[in-house]
Amino acid sequence: MSIRVKRLTEPTLKEPLLICGLPDRGFIAKQVVDYLVEKLNAELFEEIYSSYFPSYVLIKKDGTVELMKNELYFWRNNGGGSDLILLTGNTQPLTPEGQYEVAEDILVKAENLGVKRIFTISSYFVEKHSTEKPKVYGVVTNPNLKEEVVKHGVQLLDRGSVKGFNGLLFGLAKLKNIGGICLLGETVEYTTPSGRMVIDVKAAQSVLEVLLKITGIEVDLSEIEKQAKTTEEFLRRIEEAEHQALEEISKTLTPKRQTYYYI
Amino acid sequence: MKTRVWLKFFDKPRLEKPLAIVGSPGLRSVGKLALKYLVKEVKAKRFAELYSSSFPILYDTKPSYATMPRFPGIAGVKVKNGGAFIPRVRFYFSVSPELIMVRGYHANFEGQYEVAEKVVEVLEEFKVKRMFVLAGYGWDGPQVCCAASNHQLIEEMKKFGLTTGYVGPFMGFSGLVFGLGVLKNIEGICLFGKTQPHPEKPEFPDPEAGKNVFRKLREILSLNNGNRFS
Repeated sequence: MSIRVKRLTEPTLKEPLLICGLPDRGFIAKQVVDYLVEKLNAELFEEIYSSYFPSYVLIKKDGTVELMKNELYFWRNNGGGSDLILLTGNTQPLTPEGQYEVAEDILVKAENLGVKRIFTISSYFVEKHSTEKPKVYGVVTNPNLKEEVVKHGVQLLDRGSVKGFNGLLFGLAKLKNIGGICLLGETVEYTTPSGRMVIDVKAAQSVLEVLLKITGIEVDLSEIEKQAKTTEEFLRRIEEAEHQALEEISKTLTPKRQTYYYI
Repeated sequence: MKTRVWLKFFDKPRLEKPLAIVGSPGLRSVGKLALKYLVKEVKAKRFAELYSSSFPILYDTKPSYATMPRFPGIAGVKVKNGGAFIPRVRFYFSVSPELIMVRGYHANFEGQYEVAEKVVEVLEEFKVKRMFVLAGYGWDGPQVCCAASNHQLIEEMKKFGLTTGYVGPFMGFSGLVFGLGVLKNIEGICLFGKTQPHPEKPEFPDPEAGKNVFRKLREILSLNNGNRFS
């Protein structure tokens, strides 16, 4: 099957911007795009299935089933600016072959829909959690775009890589002469004691704020602010628990004081 | 991906409105066992087999259905009583009740979707509108719980004392046939039999769980002509 597409409607859009946020290691991308889909009330127009996706289906809490898929939504900007195409999903292709194939498929659609600018989102991992507002780093496909991101407080990445689908899509956009901006949210990779990833909503909020400034779109941020505060509190508790655990361990590992005798 | 999938028909049964029943050797082989009991109960006949270049006989992943890219396994034949058998998906039918039964086989990552898609094509060819997918689950909960392609079906299953219970991934052959069937407008109901996971041998058979699923299916299908496991 490779790629199977279910087209629901054929939207005609005005100079659309494509914003991509498939789930990746930090989940910031998906967090941002799903928030936009919800708050803008964007309309689903295409579902993408691929044999490069994980070979299972998801049984949801309500007992119904969901296939692994990517989804394309559109939003008409009645304020006069560009319309949006939003890419999200519950997975990304698992192999480089699959990532190239799905990314190329999406870029062909983007070209056909008249997309001139692509935004992808990813995570920038740091060692230590900061109490400051997470930084947003950026990479652009065209030097002309540098000024556009820097003026909104984005720090351009000097070197490194953007792994996975969200990086590749943006790189392939360059080959097609579509301007691309990748925004990376600074985050620490936190997992719960059971190994579950903690999504850093605070980092997602920082990226979202920058994205909205660059695109000139207005979205109510109160909900993500609330979620970010909850995450921050959760992370603080994890750090406290970690600190306590380390103290306990260090106590048990401290060697007993030895008594020395002169003989 | 370059997966070859091909079918061999031994018979072309004429069925009006068959239901499909799908089971494969997943968690503790619950689905495979339940299907095996059904095949015996309704005296089903084999009418087709599906083969694939993505069917290993030795898997690189454990359990076999947790497929990963770059872990293709090793191809070969299975030997039973001196005979050799290429790994295959087996299709059975019965006329009364009108059923098509699919005993699945797990492909590697390269072929999972292609195989499931081909199976769904066969079901479409026989105008199947509803399928039951049998499998095991390793959580706390009822002896048999259900999932379905829509809420009406979940409601319908309540009259058989079934509730939802399992939440999470449904891996491998049966999960994908279920999911891709839904895409082709074949409504699906999963019956999950509670079992105890066996970390060392994930597919080690749990006949009791298989019988529980079979009993529930028999009740739903109103099969009262036998006394097996009653």
